[in-house]
Amino acid sequence: MSVPDEYTSELHDVGEAELAEEALHGRPFELAAVRSRSGLLPDLVRDRLGFASLIFLVLLVLGAIFGPMILDIDPNAGNLSNAMQSPVWHGGSWDHIFGTDWQGYDVLSRLLAGARTSLVIGVLVVLFAGVFGVLVGLWSGYKGGRTDRWLMGWVDVQVSFPGLLLAMLLIALVGGSVASITFILAVNGWMVYGRMTRGVVLSVKERPFVEAAEIIGCKPKRVVFTHILPNLVTPLATLAVLEFARIILAEAALSFLGLGIQYPGVSWGLDISRAGDHELFGNQWLIIYPGLLLSLTVLAVNLLSSWLRVALDPQEREKKFAAAAIGSGKGAA
Amino acid sequence: MGRYIARRLGQGLVVIFGVTIFVFVITRLIGDPVKFMLPLSATPEQREARRSAMGLNDSILTQFVRFLGDLLRLDLGESTYVRGHSALSVVFDYLPRTIQLVALGMLFAVVLSIPLGVLASRKPGGITDRVLTTLSLIGLSMPQFFLGFMLLIAFTVKLHWFETGPGPWTSNLVLPAVCLALPAIGRLSIVVRSSMIDEMNTQYVKVAKAKGMTQRRIMGVHALRNAGIPYVTLLGWELIRALAGYTVVVESVFNWPGLGFMAKTAIKNQDFYLIQAIVFVIAVIVVLLNIVIDIAYKVLDPRVDLQ
Amino acid sequence: MDVVSTLPRGNILQKRFRLLGSLLALSLVAVACSDSSKDTASTSGSSDGTAAPVKGADITIALGSEPTSLDPYIVDDGAERAINDNIYETLLSRDAGGTLQPGLATALPTQTDDTTWQFKLRDGVTFHDGSAFNADSVVASINRIVKLVADSATDNDGFYKTITGATKVDDLTVNITTAGADGVLPARMYWLKMIPTSAETTADLSDSLVGTGPYKFVSRTVGSDIKIEVNPEYWGDAPSITNVTYEFVAEGGTRLAGLKSGKYDLITNLPPQDVDQAPQSANVQGQEHPVLILDTDEGITADPNVRLALNMAVDKQAIIDQVYGGFAVADASQILSPSVLGFDADLSAVVYDAAKAKQMITDAGLDGKTIQLVGEAGRWLNDRELLEAIAGYWKAAGLNVQLDILEFGAYLDVLFDRTNRADAIFVSSSNDLLDPDRQLSTYYQAGGVGSSNTNEELSGLIDQGRQQLDPIERQATYEKAVKIAADGSYFVWLASNSDLYGLSTRMSWTPRVDSKLLVKEMSVTS
Repeated sequence: MSVPDEYTSELHDVGEAELAEEALHGRPFELAAVRSRSGLLPDLVRDRLGFASLIFLVLLVLGAIFGPMILDIDPNAGNLSNAMQSPVWHGGSWDHIFGTDWQGYDVLSRLLAGARTSLVIGVLVVLFAGVFGVLVGLWSGYKGGRTDRWLMGWVDVQVSFPGLLLAMLLIALVGGSVASITFILAVNGWMVYGRMTRGVVLSVKERPFVEAAEIIGCKPKRVVFTHILPNLVTPLATLAVLEFARIILAEAALSFLGLGIQYPGVSWGLDISRAGDHELFGNQWLIIYPGLLLSLTVLAVNLLSSWLRVALDPQEREKKFAAAAIGSGKGAA
Repeated sequence: MGRYIARRLGQGLVVIFGVTIFVFVITRLIGDPVKFMLPLSATPEQREARRSAMGLNDSILTQFVRFLGDLLRLDLGESTYVRGHSALSVVFDYLPRTIQLVALGMLFAVVLSIPLGVLASRKPGGITDRVLTTLSLIGLSMPQFFLGFMLLIAFTVKLHWFETGPGPWTSNLVLPAVCLALPAIGRLSIVVRSSMIDEMNTQYVKVAKAKGMTQRRIMGVHALRNAGIPYVTLLGWELIRALAGYTVVVESVFNWPGLGFMAKTAIKNQDFYLIQAIVFVIAVIVVLLNIVIDIAYKVLDPRVDLQ
Repeated sequence: MDVVSTLPRGNILQKRFRLLGSLLALSLVAVACSDSSKDTASTSGSSDGTAAPVKGADITIALGSEPTSLDPYIVDDGAERAINDNIYETLLSRDAGGTLQPGLATALPTQTDDTTWQFKLRDGVTFHDGSAFNADSVVASINRIVKLVADSATDNDGFYKTITGATKVDDLTVNITTAGADGVLPARMYWLKMIPTSAETTADLSDSLVGTGPYKFVSRTVGSDIKIEVNPEYWGDAPSITNVTYEFVAEGGTRLAGLKSGKYDLITNLPPQDVDQAPQSANVQGQEHPVLILDTDEGITADPNVRLALNMAVDKQAIIDQVYGGFAVADASQILSPSVLGFDADLSAVVYDAAKAKQMITDAGLDGKTIQLVGEAGRWLNDRELLEAIAGYWKAAGLNVQLDILEFGAYLDVLFDRTNRADAIFVSSSNDLLDPDRQLSTYYQAGGVGSSNTNEELSGLIDQGRQQLDPIERQATYEKAVKIAADGSYFVWLASNSDLYGLSTRMSWTPRVDSKLLVKEMSVTS
């Protein structure tokens, strides 16, 4: 990002995801994958960390979907006489594999329910913010002129808003639930998609084939859908994955601050906060379990996205390969 | 350059004005600070009387006109949580402690990220690189509140090395600053690494190499300086983000009485005036910092054209 | 230290022993020393309280929140009181057991008629600014609060709205008048802090704290600390501690870490689960009564049998042990502490009987019916844990519990909503004046902010009690009122949690039933 690229209208106030993406590119591990032209999955298998991340995420999703059904324990069903049971590996019973907390809640069922919350909010926010942002970006980039200036002005202004504080304020006023948090995070996070889409539209619009399509009388809608959207798929996919990680962290942070998910909802952030209040001097594992799971999830998504970026983008492959070859003299193979 | 700054300032005014009005409308429509001011046992009549006395029963338009008039005189009202103080003065009581936190955190980040990034870039794909890059990724993936608890448990609860809570920065600010810095170190060192690799790959570095300059000299003199722009971009972004209220998490974990901590309290007590003042001051800081960073680009790289 | 236990720390027996001790001492004090000086085999003398106090010591106290203001007339704020109780004094005070006794007045007031109370003042007392304390100061204090109440500028209307004014009889005699007979006035004069005449018209006292108390205000750093120092001119016994620093630390864990590291000498609201971690801890049964207000008029709680079943379904002992770590006493079906006038010693807690409760719910045809329970988290000690535990017990009784743990603002909307009463609302009621009137008129009397009943007889009794001037008659009236609510199960009474404090090993202090943190009663051993 040493020069403004086509989708950042300003040099500096680029969105969080764009920077995270910048920060993540250039990992050495994917170099092995660069060599192969044999399809995505074999590529991924060769990128060991990326593959491990994928497996972790698949397990997490499966756990979030089916875990609660198999366990069949209400994460909010607690009994004080049942409090603070040891996990199985410390002589606890198989009824509560990870033991129970001070409230008598089953730790494992809360971890799984927390995964569900994180994943649901992450997916929904990416979906809503993505769709809205892409539409604004398409409109802005395609129309150009005054529309473009107004829309991008709006994006610039909203990007400069202190998003976290406003999200906290809104949740304090309307109450925290999956729906309100999803809405607020989506309203706070669509701008990055808008900017990126507009940038892609602008660069594609200049290309001869689009001009040709317009000259031969293609309707604008058709031009957008047949020519511009395909060019969006790769950058959008990478961005969406990164945004997904960011949203999961944002939800957890809000819930941690007490301005997010509320009972009977379960969230990792909320559980870290509960355990931090109650068990800082006691059983600290109750802080560590949800914290570790949250960290691993974000790490896995980040690793996966950096693999995805290289795997989906031929230019990126060449660049990385060249960089590594020259930088190390030999490459990482 | 002058015109550019004027244009940016104008845009900044729109941001400040927009965010202030947004907060005004939202809080007046669905908030009520009186709920939090009076004791639980206060009767509905007492609450009503207080609302009237504070002018909260006037129509939102009347309130808005009054608000705009006060705003022109930079009067953002009296805090309802820190009673008897103007909201702006409360902000300036708490802001210095956030600036301390951010300054120390960014110092840690800069001092550590550059050597780590350079070290990793020396042999891309080598064992040092893999270890450092993985650590960076872990650092930037860990949520700060969890990291904070881990630091708290290790260094305060178990080892008693550092104190937390309000107090002198030498003993009480170290852990919060480290917690604030770690994810930034992760992101910054990755950027140092990747721009160093890019720079080492450019023509002039190859020429320098061919002329027989040592690797150390090339890295130190040429590549590092040119890697400065993406670094400053990210550092500026980290700085703005931290000052824009993101320290609330770190300040909450460590009970550091900074502006983020106060913002959380103000929000939980629906203190309109204080929230408004906090958001206003933060918006001003963000706008000004953005302009300063733009000028920094220009200084770093004369090729950059400030349109 | 009235009751000192030296059993090994972390022992269940010890907790029982403490509990028994505090019950025996009946509203008095149990101080539990975990005695870490013995654990660490310290040889530098013991800290068992017999060592001579150090003169001129400096201490640091960590409070859970920062005072929202330092003007005691304007705010009703525990953190403000923690500091100002040392700077200001009142006409009357209370002894360790909560009984009213003279303060700046030389005796309890006498009545010249139903609405006039006469106070005789102590001679030779001066304010920190050198001015004399006399009848004029009392008149100025009364005038200030009367004006603030009239202007709706104080949060303390509830404490003082019956007062109409004060007149000077002579330099050391003053008459305070009330609108109608007011039996609560002596207790109100235990609450109103005396200011000099020069402060009568000051808009906000925060920046110029001038009282007659044993400590003087030194400095305030907003967000960080407040410092006070001893008043060498104090009229009473000279305190042994010279300088006090108050710091504000919201998280219990951070307070405790500071206590353990020796940074703090006293911390408030020690979490019960962490008592074993503190170098010393002290507790006293205070005035805090968490209860669930049941809607007696509508919904499934309109049936008194259901309300009784809801009481019966809750295992109070388990709550005492698990939620409050043993530091609580089951409430005897009333919201009043034993130290407060009106406490009915004949009432007792509903006995836990899960099976019978379930049967009663079934008999009422309510199996699987939804009951709404509304509460909040973070305001009161382990409130979330308590609410979630109760939801568990009610579920076990066969009900479907809809527990709403709301943000405090949204919670207040529910509490204040008079038209759409929730089935059950959690609240923790406190009693600052140690007088039953305010607590009962808020939670027991029809129309009170936290009341969910429309019993006119009960309402009449509470009005009557307020106007009775003879304490014995008042006691009888309140006992009747309290019994009506107990018989009708208007609430689910739980357990009154003790005030818990963490102390450094060198501190020596006995907490008070009125929760005041009077530094003059504290001392430090070497």
